[in-house]
Formats: sequence, C-alpha cells, structure tokens
Amino acid sequence: MKKIVLLLVVVFSFLGCEKDDICDANTPTTPRLVIEFYDNNAPLATTKAVTKLKAVADGMNGVGVVFNTTATDDSKYLSNDKKIYLPLRAGVDEFSTTYSLTLNSGVVGSENTDKVTFTYSHYNVFVSRACGYKTLFDLTNTNTNILTADSNNWIKDISINKANLESENEVHIKIKL
Amino acid sequence: MKYILKLNYSFLLVLLSVLGQAQEVKKVDSIKPKTERYGLRLGVDLFKLSRTFTEKDYRGLELVGDFKLTRKHYLAAEIGNENKTVDDARLNFTTKGTYIKAGFDYNAYQNWLGMHNMIYVGLRYGVSTFSQTLNTFSVYNPHPYFGASPTLVSGDKYDGLSAQWIEVVAGVKAEIVQNLYVGFSLRLNNLITNKTPENFDNLYIPGFNRTYGGKFGAGFNYTISYFVPIFKTTLKPKESEAKKK
Repeated sequence: MKKIVLLLVVVFSFLGCEKDDICDANTPTTPRLVIEFYDNNAPLATTKAVTKLKAVADGMNGVGVVFNTTATDDSKYLSNDKKIYLPLRAGVDEFSTTYSLTLNSGVVGSENTDKVTFTYSHYNVFVSRACGYKTLFDLTNTNTNILTADSNNWIKDISINKANLESENEVHIKIKL
Repeated sequence: MKYILKLNYSFLLVLLSVLGQAQEVKKVDSIKPKTERYGLRLGVDLFKLSRTFTEKDYRGLELVGDFKLTRKHYLAAEIGNENKTVDDARLNFTTKGTYIKAGFDYNAYQNWLGMHNMIYVGLRYGVSTFSQTLNTFSVYNPHPYFGASPTLVSGDKYDGLSAQWIEVVAGVKAEIVQNLYVGFSLRLNNLITNKTPENFDNLYIPGFNRTYGGKFGAGFNYTISYFVPIFKTTLKPKESEAKKK
C-alpha cells in the first residue's frame, strides 16, 4: 500500500509540470535591427557614440523606441550609445519600416532628423514549446536606398553589414556620422 | 525331466519376484500433481479511455497484453492510438498516430499456485508513427514596440513522422475476481530516434507522451485485463527435493 501511495505521488508530481514552462530571456528570439555608429572623420573604422538620439517609427505618433529602460522620464527614449536596437514591423503584410532618427533630440537649434527606410522579407522559425516562433528578416535594401536625402543629413554614410537578421549579437547596419 | 521342472520352478520364482518389485514402484501418490496455468492476459488502459470521454481535446485507446513465458517472465506489449490537441501559451497543435510497445516483464512477486498477481519491472521498445498539425502559433516578441504579436493561424500538416524509444516500466497487477485483473504502471522513456518536421518539433508523441526538449519522457497507465488460460503444465518436483525423499 505504501508503494502504491508513493507511485501515485510520483505520477501526480509529473502531471504538475505541464503548464509552467516560460520562455527563457536568453533564448534568441525575434531579433531587432542592430545599428552601430562609426566616426566618419577617423581614417580607420572607429565606433562613435551618438548624442541624445531618438528613434520614432512612422505611424507611432511620435512615441520613440525605449533605449533606456531604467529611466522613467522622457530621457528613456534617448540613446547616447554606440549601438542601437530597432524593432521591425513583422505583420503578415508588412515588409518595410521607416524610422525618423533625431540627433540631439530636445536640444533647441541642433536637432537634426534623418529618415531611414528598411525594406525586407521575413519568415517565422520554430524556437521551442515555451517561446513559440521567432521572426527572422532578410534586408532587401541596397546601401543607397535606405537614407532619405535632405539638405542637412547627419548620417554621412549608411551601409548594410549583414543583410540576414538572425540574432542581436551581430551588426546589421553601419552608420557613419 | 526332473531337471527341467526344477529350472521352470526357479524361473517362475525369479519372474514373480521381479513382478512384485514392479508393483511396489507403481504406488500411486495421493496428492494431486501441481499444475501451472499459462495464458494470455488481455486488457485496456482505463486512463486513456476515460480521458477520451472527459477531455474534448483527447481521443485515445490502448490495448495491453502479456503472456506468461516462465514463472517469473512475461512477454508484454501495448498497442494504441492517440489523437491529442495541445493548447500551449504560444502553440496549438494536434498530434495523431499509432504506437506499439513490446518487451518483457519480470515478476518479483511470489504467487500462490495458480495466481498471476504481479509486482513487476520491465522493459519495452516503443515505435510510433504519427502526424502533426500546427493549428495556431504566435511569434515571441520580447520588444513589443509595435504591439504584441497576434496569434497566427497556420494549419500546416506534417506527415510521416516517427519516433522510437526505450521504456522502463514498474507496476502492479492484482486479481480482483476470478481471472480479472486491475493494474497500473509507471513508465520512464528515453528517445532513441525522433524524426521531427522542418520548422516544428515533436512536442507530443503518441505512446511516448509529452516531450521535454531532451530525450526524457514519462507516462503511466491504469489497466483492467482478463486472463485467458491456454494450457496447463504439471510441475515436476525439483531434483534436489526428490533426492531428499
């Protein structure tokens, strides 16, 4: 009888495992577009930090991508980093995302906004039971049709470093400023 | 003539004494000889059967059988069919398929004569062929700047999938009325081969049950079965016992 009770306990402890798996944050899932900034004046490739960069996608009513998750005020939308991560639209019939990248955002007189448009195809790849699927992207841009030229571009040069987005541990776009 | 009579007489004497000895050997044992019944025990898994009626996302049937080979060893097999729809947080899929598991059980329980109660351990080799249909899925998006990803309808069907595994069994079977047995067993599985579809995984395998990313799996069944006697054998007393007498 004791053996039976023991067996039942083991059985029910297994049944209890069904629903509680969660997607591990370290699992590579849908990647964002990784942009790294370089100094246009340096003779060799040297990374350079941007100042108060704000990124707003078209159709988001001016709400920027959150770069600083610890800040609570509007400074959370600003990046002072050498690298930024931009989410891409991945709806069934969405194949491009346009971002307005504003340098020195909020600084009167020196604000400068450049528009970049990324076009791509995307497909879904199975990850795991807990994470479901992830979306991977293939950029279809050429180096010359990403940036919308205006009278005063702060982006001096933009190039595709890696066209197929598979993870966030790689640089997809290089921008010189 | 006299000599011949004498010879006949002595010959008869020898013959009689031989016959007498033979009669002594022929003494009949008053205890009936012990017999052991052998046969096929056939049954059904009540757990799968009851889930078929209580869960709308599940239909399954498993038939079980064992055949007594020796006093301790049984050939054992399970054959079944399952149709299960799993609704996880990010995935909803249906697995349909058939499986067979075959192996043996070793009975560790010392039975009284004629009984077939079991406390056993055993091994099975399981084979399953099945198909999977991905009904709906959602894309994991840890950065929902553009809003949370919607659930997408797929309907993709993956045919011709298969898996093979080894199963370690431990269980009991007890006779409740004449020739009718109830039992349950606990099973730990280890995948040997697993043919997975492209861009999806075998998250449920009929007979193996849920997969856990690795090779490990578990299951159990609750059976009711009927013992069909096929033949009897007379137990011979062991050599050593005979010598003692």
